[in-house]
Amino acid sequence: MLLQVIFSGLATGSIYALVALGLALIYNTTEHVNFAQGEMSMVSAFVGFTFFSMLGLSLWITISLTLLISALLGIITERLVIRPAMRAPHFNVFIITLGVSIVMKSLSGFIWSHNDYPYPSIFPDETIAIGGATIDLIGLGNIGATVLLMVILYAFFRYTRYGTAMRAVSESQNAALLMGVNVKRSFAATWAISFLVAAVAGILMAPVVFLSTHMGIVVINGFAAAILGGWGSIPGAIIGGMLLGVIDNVAPLYLPSQIKNVVPFAVIFIVLVIRPKGIMGVERFTKV
Amino acid sequence: MQPSGKWKIVSWTAALIVLLILPLFLGKYSIFLLSLLAIYALVSLGLNLLMGYTGQIAAGHAGFLAIGAYVTAIFTAHFEWVPCPLTLLLAGTISGLIGFLLGIPILRLKGFYIAMATLAFGVVVSEIILQWSSVTGGDDGFSVPIARIGGLVFDSDFKLFYLIIPVTILMTLLAKNLVNGYIGRAFIALRESEIAAQTIGVDLAKYKTIAFAISAFYTGVAGGLFAFLITFLSPDAFTIELSIDFIAMIVIGGMGSILGSIIGAVILTGMQQVLAGLLDLQILIFGLSLIVFMIFMPKGIAGMLSDLKEKFT
Repeated sequence: MLLQVIFSGLATGSIYALVALGLALIYNTTEHVNFAQGEMSMVSAFVGFTFFSMLGLSLWITISLTLLISALLGIITERLVIRPAMRAPHFNVFIITLGVSIVMKSLSGFIWSHNDYPYPSIFPDETIAIGGATIDLIGLGNIGATVLLMVILYAFFRYTRYGTAMRAVSESQNAALLMGVNVKRSFAATWAISFLVAAVAGILMAPVVFLSTHMGIVVINGFAAAILGGWGSIPGAIIGGMLLGVIDNVAPLYLPSQIKNVVPFAVIFIVLVIRPKGIMGVERFTKV
Repeated sequence: MQPSGKWKIVSWTAALIVLLILPLFLGKYSIFLLSLLAIYALVSLGLNLLMGYTGQIAAGHAGFLAIGAYVTAIFTAHFEWVPCPLTLLLAGTISGLIGFLLGIPILRLKGFYIAMATLAFGVVVSEIILQWSSVTGGDDGFSVPIARIGGLVFDSDFKLFYLIIPVTILMTLLAKNLVNGYIGRAFIALRESEIAAQTIGVDLAKYKTIAFAISAFYTGVAGGLFAFLITFLSPDAFTIELSIDFIAMIVIGGMGSILGSIIGAVILTGMQQVLAGLLDLQILIFGLSLIVFMIFMPKGIAGMLSDLKEKFT
């Protein structure tokens, strides 16, 4: 029983991990905190839904088009609202992303209404028995897809020119600029990649929670996961996400079932009070 | 043309008199709206003291509003003979104390962590109210008893107006004195640079917790008045969305400005009325204005007004 709950925890956690990863990517390059990360997943999931269920395109075309549009939306968002405030205090940018999340949610409401839609999974809706536990393939697929995306991103940042340039920007914007890195382009690329990650999260998440404009609230779990793992740390995002997923699923076994609503908030609160830098976090120092 | 001190007093007194006799000429609903506006202005002031003056993002003020409202409602239900200004003071103090306690762990945090911690706080408060149903009525809500001072019973919106407006004016003046004094300047120093403020002798821990406490106090008193005005409390009224509306209110009105707080409250109340049936449109406009104001007018309408004034004098 416990084993099975932990498995479903990891399946939920892989989605939290992706949201946390998207947050960490943007934070590392731009030092901005993106409140719209969850809404980005929601919008992408709706785009996919439009192609697949409303226009009847095939699965792979749908996925490719959705990812492409997501990356474009990332670039557009960065260009329209983030870049004009690039030199403004981070406080201002945080409020801007808060605004972006609100705009995305209400616009999606106008386009697709606030109803719940069932969402097909790319993985078969079946279960297999391993040991005593029944494992559902959607959950297993979600974990697998998350791991795969992580590996691709790791390779991108480690081995490609663009990836290296973006890491340079995250070390120091000025130094990167002096070395001939196009910082603005790196900002745009970061938003594109983060929106892509959000799209994957959205496509994986929608079959589990139903597709609706309220899906974006997952950003709170993403924040909880990122803070738990260590804000700005990529391995931390993954560990934090998985751990939060497990806590999320195990807590109702031992505590009143309403606890599920408060888990992410309780985690944020407890971590920030006891150990603000999280599990993998590094201390950051600011200069005057 | 700068009005001299004497004219300033005359014009403010005139404005005050107009405000106080206004209800005689207005319908019941308009009076209710003016009172609601005043309550929002109090929240706005409280939030602005924390966000606008010290630069901490607070995303959980619906929580403090809820604390103030429920303390007032529950206390009045048990001790109906206590004059309501004392109850409001109690509500503000309890809310302020919780703000102070919340401020202590948050001291170690910076920037957006504070936003997250306060966001979490707001949600936890409404969850506690929901679960602690033996005291708060939980899901069923809580019917607020009528406010009274001895024989004076505030049993209509018209009478409540004369409770809410004086409290708001008093607290606005208090806030104005506060921000022009030592504490206000310490807050601003903190906002500009924490490290620089520390080196010139501003006690970081002290002033951050003070900011939290004062902000929570204002919002708590506003919550108490809110309870009396709407007469029925339900935990689902105090959501994250409400906290975000409050942020939008001061961003649009003007951060770090008393006038801006009030302008923000006027705009929030106005929008809620004009777009009452069109929730999505209302939210969309709020979202867009957060973006547009932060990019083009980070100091909000009040900042724009003072820029204009400088240009023409």
